Amino acid sequence: MDNELHSDLERDCEQTSQSASHTSTNNWQRISPIALIYFVLKLVKGIFGNFIYLAPALYLSYDKVAENPSFWLPIIYGFIALIVLSAVLSFYFFQYRLSNQQIEIRSGVFSKKYINLPFSRIQNVELTEPLYYRPFGYTCMQLDTAGSIKQEAKVVAINKRKALQLKDEILAAHKPENVTTNTEQDSPEQSEDEVVLDTRNLDDLVIHGITNNRVWIFIAGLAPFIDQISDKIGQWLYLFGFNVEQYFEFEGKSGWQIATTAISLTLMVMIPITIFSIIGSIIAFHDFKLSKSGDRYIRRSGLFTRNEVTMRLSRLQVIVRQQDWLDVLLGRINLKFEQSNANFQQTQPGQLTNKIIVPSVTRKECQFLIDDAYPENQLADIQFKRVSPRLLVRNLFIFVMPITAIITSFVYVDQPVDMIIYVLVFALFISALITMSYLRKGYAVDDNFIYVRKGCLGVDYYCFPIYKVQQTSFKQSWFLKQRQLCSIEFVLASGAIAIPYLSEKIGLSLINNSLQQVEQSKKNWM
Amino acid sequence: MNPTISEIQEDFSNENIATNELISIANLEFSALSSKYFPTHRLVILITTLIVMTLVLAIQYQPWAVPPKELKVVLEVALWVIGSIGLLKYLYSYFADPKKKYALREQDISYQSGLIFRKTVSQPILRVQHVELKRGPVERKVGLASLQVFSAGGAMHTFEVPGLDYDNAENIRQYILSHKDLNQHG
Repeated sequence: MDNELHSDLERDCEQTSQSASHTSTNNWQRISPIALIYFVLKLVKGIFGNFIYLAPALYLSYDKVAENPSFWLPIIYGFIALIVLSAVLSFYFFQYRLSNQQIEIRSGVFSKKYINLPFSRIQNVELTEPLYYRPFGYTCMQLDTAGSIKQEAKVVAINKRKALQLKDEILAAHKPENVTTNTEQDSPEQSEDEVVLDTRNLDDLVIHGITNNRVWIFIAGLAPFIDQISDKIGQWLYLFGFNVEQYFEFEGKSGWQIATTAISLTLMVMIPITIFSIIGSIIAFHDFKLSKSGDRYIRRSGLFTRNEVTMRLSRLQVIVRQQDWLDVLLGRINLKFEQSNANFQQTQPGQLTNKIIVPSVTRKECQFLIDDAYPENQLADIQFKRVSPRLLVRNLFIFVMPITAIITSFVYVDQPVDMIIYVLVFALFISALITMSYLRKGYAVDDNFIYVRKGCLGVDYYCFPIYKVQQTSFKQSWFLKQRQLCSIEFVLASGAIAIPYLSEKIGLSLINNSLQQVEQSKKNWM
Repeated sequence: MNPTISEIQEDFSNENIATNELISIANLEFSALSSKYFPTHRLVILITTLIVMTLVLAIQYQPWAVPPKELKVVLEVALWVIGSIGLLKYLYSYFADPKKKYALREQDISYQSGLIFRKTVSQPILRVQHVELKRGPVERKVGLASLQVFSAGGAMHTFEVPGLDYDNAENIRQYILSHKDLNQHG
């Protein structure tokens, strides 16, 4: 029976397979039925996102369901049936074939999908074993090209022995230097020919903690317990005779009392955040060492887990020189070497494997590191060009107008005279920020690089080699066309970089020049 | 090897890209999408809207239980919102779809779209990672296909040309796959 269906399918998809299967030797294979569990879980996850966030809602709605079971139960059962049915269908239509140094995957129930991936294009083979696969010796094999993550080839359930064999075969089809080396070790060894480029001391990390919010390192780890913690803090404050509700009663208090309350509250929030941020920065960057061995950059850091990231210079896509407003005041810079994003999107936010960050370096150190990576770059002394002032006008129009309108409508009812002051102060504040952000925007180009500057209170510089561009886009609304302006965007493997509101002529020439450099030099982007 | 390549090659406009003369994306020679795409796309919008509206109505008037009063109001509003979004989408696609065009050159493929906000995306072929043809049930029925081209730019920047005749899409796919720079350079 299975064979019948199989041949049915074969015929059904013959059209698709004909194109690429002149040399096929193997037949289409279906994966193990264990994948059913995978499909069910994937669907459920896709629908509900994360169970944790939904749990309270489910708990509350339980009462409603109990109240009116004749209305809700059929819905729930139908829903479950639908999920199971679509999992079975996804399983049924998932097939793969190995032939002639390439893997082909057919999938999709209504929307048919066909992927054809030659081994030589596969950058990384990742094997994951969910808990429910382990007893049966199956594994989920993900094949990454450096392309987009969502569309990657994934053999959902494959025998582990076979997977390992296939992995060897795939990696053998590769030039060995193209394989990524990202390792996490307890005791990273340093080889002989390494040159240390930069180290960070404790004081640098404290500065980094103050100027940059590294709290998320905690928040990421603490998320499951956040409710309990906030409860505990509430109880603890109450113990000391501090009544939170009382604190927020503004009636019968004078202006300065409210002001001190606001300031002390801000401090109460800011101080712990800053302290946590400093600790977070130390956890992430303790004993930071950036060294270079041949054309490999190696970053080692971390207090608890020593994290080692190795990146070949050729994999570097863009250099980001980042300064928050506090960094500007203290003269420190965060330098980022970013490489391809695609392979690392699934990793946790705390792991910074896709880029090398050098935290809070001084201007001189920063320039030294940039020059080391790209000797011909002129980031330090190139003249940046401003974008058209129409961007400023547009942003003022879009952001200031509605906000002032809203405030006006709220305040006008009560105090028509005070209103003018409130609105003026607010509008001025926003306009100042928008103007700052406009003044920061700039771009520059030389023979090899495109430079982009942006920011608001702080300032960020981006610098990328033109031949690394993956895709360009040229955007022009009807209004921009009248003014001979345009916006352009360069897509790199590390992400997109946009330049808004520049003259049409320059925009076109930047894009044409980039496309030509990419296509003519034929240089590899990694 | 592939008999259809010569057909594609007639459309080329940047043959002399290697001779240092800069060819601009401002004067690309665009090809239109399949004429079947326009009515099909509008029909899909119409049918999708009607199906969603029918579902909402079905929940409202199902015979088994009386839905709570609040739910009724929500459903009614939802019905109007869905209806007007569908209508707007229909109108927009009526005017915007004919503006969708693609241009295939020796070294790159471009796609232009947008009614008021026009956008031209250009994808150099040697940066292509892999190519897919996407066909939904309607597309299969009428013989259309969407061409998806993946580069290292990530899922957000997938280059996609909708509404191509299946044979044409397959030809373009084959052309990209057999491009001489594709396999040497990642």
